[in-house]
Amino acid sequence: MSNKSEVIATENLIKTKKRSQGADVWRRLKKSPTAMIGLGIIILFLFMAVFAPMIADYDDEAIKMNIKERLQPPSSTHVFGTDEFGRDIFARIVWGTRISLFVGLISVSIALSIGGFLGAIAGYYGGRLDNAIMRVLDVLLAIPTILLAITIVAALGASVLNLMIAVGVSNIPGFARVVRAAVLSVKDEEFIEAARAIGANDFIIITRHVLPNSMAPIIVFATLKVASSIMGISSLSFIGLGVQPPTPEWGGMLASGRAYIRDYMYIVMFPGLAIVFAVLSLNLIGDGLRDALDPKLK
Amino acid sequence: MTRYILRRIFMMIPVMLGVTLLVFFIISLTPGDAASMILGQEATEESIQELREEMGLNDPTAVQYVRYMGGLFQGDMGRSYATGKTVSSEIAQRFPNTFVLTVSAIFLSVLISIPIGVVSATKQYSIFDNVGMIIALVGISMPSFWTGLLLIIAFSLTLGWFPSGGMEGFISLILPAFTLAIASTASITRTTRSSMLEVIRQDYINTAKAKGVSKNVVIRKHALKNALIPAITVIGLEFGILLGGAVLTETVFSWPGIGRLMVESIQRKDTPMVLGSVIVFALAFSVVNLIIDILYAFIDPRIKSNYS
Amino acid sequence: MSDKLLKIEDLVVHYITDDGVVEAVNGVNIGVDRGKTLGLVGETGAGKTTTALSIMRLIPHPPGKIVSGSIELEGTDLLSLKESRLEKIRGDVVSMIFQDPMTALNPVITVGDQIAEAIMIHQKVGQSKAAQKAREMLEIVGIPGNRAGEYPHQFSGGMKQRVVIAIALSCNPKLLIADEPTTALDVTIQAQVLELMKNLKDKFQMGMVLITHDLGVVAEVCDDVAIMYAGRIVEQGTLEEVFNTVKHPYTEGLFNSIPNIDDRRDKLKPIRGLMSDPYNLPKGCSFYDRCDYAMPVCETQKPPKIHFGETHFVECHLYQEQQDFKLNGGKE
Repeated sequence: MSNKSEVIATENLIKTKKRSQGADVWRRLKKSPTAMIGLGIIILFLFMAVFAPMIADYDDEAIKMNIKERLQPPSSTHVFGTDEFGRDIFARIVWGTRISLFVGLISVSIALSIGGFLGAIAGYYGGRLDNAIMRVLDVLLAIPTILLAITIVAALGASVLNLMIAVGVSNIPGFARVVRAAVLSVKDEEFIEAARAIGANDFIIITRHVLPNSMAPIIVFATLKVASSIMGISSLSFIGLGVQPPTPEWGGMLASGRAYIRDYMYIVMFPGLAIVFAVLSLNLIGDGLRDALDPKLK
Repeated sequence: MTRYILRRIFMMIPVMLGVTLLVFFIISLTPGDAASMILGQEATEESIQELREEMGLNDPTAVQYVRYMGGLFQGDMGRSYATGKTVSSEIAQRFPNTFVLTVSAIFLSVLISIPIGVVSATKQYSIFDNVGMIIALVGISMPSFWTGLLLIIAFSLTLGWFPSGGMEGFISLILPAFTLAIASTASITRTTRSSMLEVIRQDYINTAKAKGVSKNVVIRKHALKNALIPAITVIGLEFGILLGGAVLTETVFSWPGIGRLMVESIQRKDTPMVLGSVIVFALAFSVVNLIIDILYAFIDPRIKSNYS
Repeated sequence: MSDKLLKIEDLVVHYITDDGVVEAVNGVNIGVDRGKTLGLVGETGAGKTTTALSIMRLIPHPPGKIVSGSIELEGTDLLSLKESRLEKIRGDVVSMIFQDPMTALNPVITVGDQIAEAIMIHQKVGQSKAAQKAREMLEIVGIPGNRAGEYPHQFSGGMKQRVVIAIALSCNPKLLIADEPTTALDVTIQAQVLELMKNLKDKFQMGMVLITHDLGVVAEVCDDVAIMYAGRIVEQGTLEEVFNTVKHPYTEGLFNSIPNIDDRRDKLKPIRGLMSDPYNLPKGCSFYDRCDYAMPVCETQKPPKIHFGETHFVECHLYQEQQDFKLNGGKE
C-alpha cells in the first residue's frame, strides 16, 4: 500500500515547476477518457456511501443473520447473492463503501495534516530543524508502510479508530516529504521575497503564499494515497486487524468468505471487485491529474 | 567503492537503532500483562509478580529497551510467550521461506516488467502500450489477498494444477510468488516505461542516433542503462511493499514465513515474536536498499567517482 | 550534378499535438556548397533546429512530420531513404552537433567509447583500432588522449563541447550541422570553440550549416547567410550581401538589436512584440504585426520572393512596387 516511488514521482513533478492554472488542468483532464471513467466510478461509490440507507437497510439486510437464506447464488432478490450467514452481499458492499471511503479519507487527512505540517516547517526553515525531522522520517520510512500499520494496530487493538490512526500515521512520512519538496521549490521565488519584504510573517507566508502555489502535486499525491489507504484498510481487515465483524467491510468480507470459495466463489468475487474498482478509480484520477499537470510527460 | 559501501552501512546504523526504538515503544503500548498470560488463568497473584520481576517487566520502558538491545546485539530477541521457544530460532526457521518467496516474486517482476516497460515506451501510444498500461494500473489496484484467492479458485480448485496452500516443493511456490509479484510487476513496468520515455527524449539519444547508431542499439546500449537508474530505485522500494505483501500472501497460502508468524503472534498477543518479526522485516528492507545503492554505483559513474 | 552539397527545397514540417498543428517549417529553400558554411539565423522558435533535424531525419515522430519538400545530399534524396540507409549516412557523411553539451553526452558511457562507437560503425574497424582513433580525435580537439576513459561529468562545459565535436568529426563527414554550438558556453570558451570549429572545417574540407542567433558568430565563420522567421527563409544571400545591403525589415531589426560598441550614443532598438503563435500563423506576412514598414497588403497576402542578383533574395512586399526601396535603418 505504501509507495515511496509515488513520493519520488511527485517530487519530480514538483521539480518541473510547471504550475498550470486550474482551468487548464481541468480542460486537459477532461480529454483523458481513463481519468473520466475513474471520476465516474468514484462518484458512483460516493453516491452509494451517502445514500446507503436508501439503498439497503443496515440492520435488516447487512447485519442480521438469516440462516435459511445462507449461501444463495446471485438472483433477482440478492443481486450478488448471500454470505455464509444469509446476509445480502450487495447490501454489505454498499455499507462497506461508507467504511472504506470514510476511513480512507480520514487517514489521509491525518497524514496530510501532520505530515504536511512537518514537511512545511522542515522545508521552510531548513537547517537543523529540517535535518532532525527528516532523520525521524527516515526511521519511519525504513519500515514498510503496511507493516508499520500492522504493528500499530497490533499494539493499540483492532478498531475503526485505531485503524485510522495506524494507516494515517504510517502515511505521514510520505506526505512530509512531498510537502517539503513542494515548499522547497517555491520558497526562494521572488513572490515569496516580495511577501517577506512587505512584512508578512512566516505563518502567513507559508499558508497564503507557499502552500497554495504547491498545491497541485500534493492533491495528486493525496488522491493516490486515498487509493492505497483503502487497499491498506481492507488488507488489515483481511488479517483480522481492521474493522471487526459483523460490521461490513470489503476486506473482512473476503476473510470470512475465504472458507467457502470452493463452492461459492461469488462470495469473494464481489467484495474483491469493489476494492479493485474503488482503488482503480482513484488511481486513474491521480494518474490523469498528474498528466494534466505535467503534459510533457504522459 | 569500498568507502562508499562502508559509508552506506554506517548510515544504516542510526536508522536501524531508530527503528528498534520506535517499534519497541509502539509494541510496549500493548495492553495486557505478559506474566499473567504466560502463567495462565490459575496463577496466583504472587507468582505473577515474581515472574514480572524476573522478566524485568516492572522496570521503566527505557530500561527494558536497553536490556532488549543488549540481547539483540548477541542475537537474543527473547522468548515467545506462547511457545517458550526463542524468538531467534523461530525466525531463523521461518526466514528462508519468506526469503525464497519474496526473492522469486521480485525476480519474476523484474523479468516481466523491464521488457514490457521498454517496449511500451518505444511504441508509445500504440495498442500494446495502451493496453499494457491499463493492465498495469489494474494490477496495482488489485489487493494481493484477493488475487491470491482468485488464483486458488482457478488453478488449484478448478484446474487442480497447483496446491492451494502449504509449502511442499517448488510447485507450491508458484501461485504465491505470482500473487506477490503482480503489484510490483505493474509498478516497475510503469516506472521503466516513464523513465525510458524521459531518457529517449534526452539530447544524448539524438547524439547517438546522429552517429548512425541503429535504433535497437540506441535503446539497448544508450537508453536502457540510463533508464534503469530510476527503475532500480523503484525495484528497491517495491521490495519493501513486497515484504508487506508477504504478510497477506503468506496468510492466504498458509506459507510458513515470517509474515504469517507475525500475524499469528499478533493474534496470540505474543509481543516478543511480533517485535522480532517487525525488526527483521525492517532490517531486510534496509539491507535491500543497501544492495540497491551499491548497484547504483555500478551503473552510474557519477556516484562511483564521487567516492574513489 | 552541381557542386551543391546540400539542397533543401520547399521543406514543410509540422508538429501535430493535442492542442493543434504547429507549422514549424513552412517551405524552406536553402543550399550549401562543398566546403562552404551557411549561417542559419533567427530567434528561438523560428524553425532552425527543426530544419536541422530534418536533414538528419531525426524529427521526433510523433508529433513531428515532414509534410512535403525534398532534402538532397550529394544528389541523394534523404526523404525517400529507408532507415537502414540513413543509419549509414548519419555520422559518416553528415554529422550534427547539438546545442547543449551538458546534455549531449551519455552520462554512463566513457567519452572514448562514445567517440569510438561512430568509428566502429562506419569504418568497420575493431575495438582497439577505434579506441586508438578516438584518442587521436580527442587530441585534435585539444583534449589529452589519456582522458578517453573518463565519463562526461568529469569534463567542463567547454571540454564536453569539444568531445561532441570530436564525435561529430570522427568519421570525417562532408557536411556538419552545428546547432548553436556555442550558446550554452561561457563567452571566453565560446571564442575558443568557434576558433576550433573554423580550423577543423578548413582541415577536413567540410560543408557546414551553422545555426545561431548571433550575427557576430555569422560574420566570423559563414560564407552565406539565411535569415529564418516563423518557419520561412525571409532573406538569403552571401555574407557581404546580407550584411552590407540589408533588405528585410526583420534582418534590419536583428542588426539593430546588437549593441554598437563604437558608438555608445547609438540606442538599442529591439524588435517589438513576440513571434506569432506557431499554432496560428497569420494569413499574410508572418512578420506583419512587428514590422515598422507594414502596409495593408502585408496583412492579407503572402509576400513574394524578390531577387537582387544571383544569390540574394528577400520575401517582402516592400520591393514589389519599387525594387530600390531603402530601409531607413530603424530611425524615425
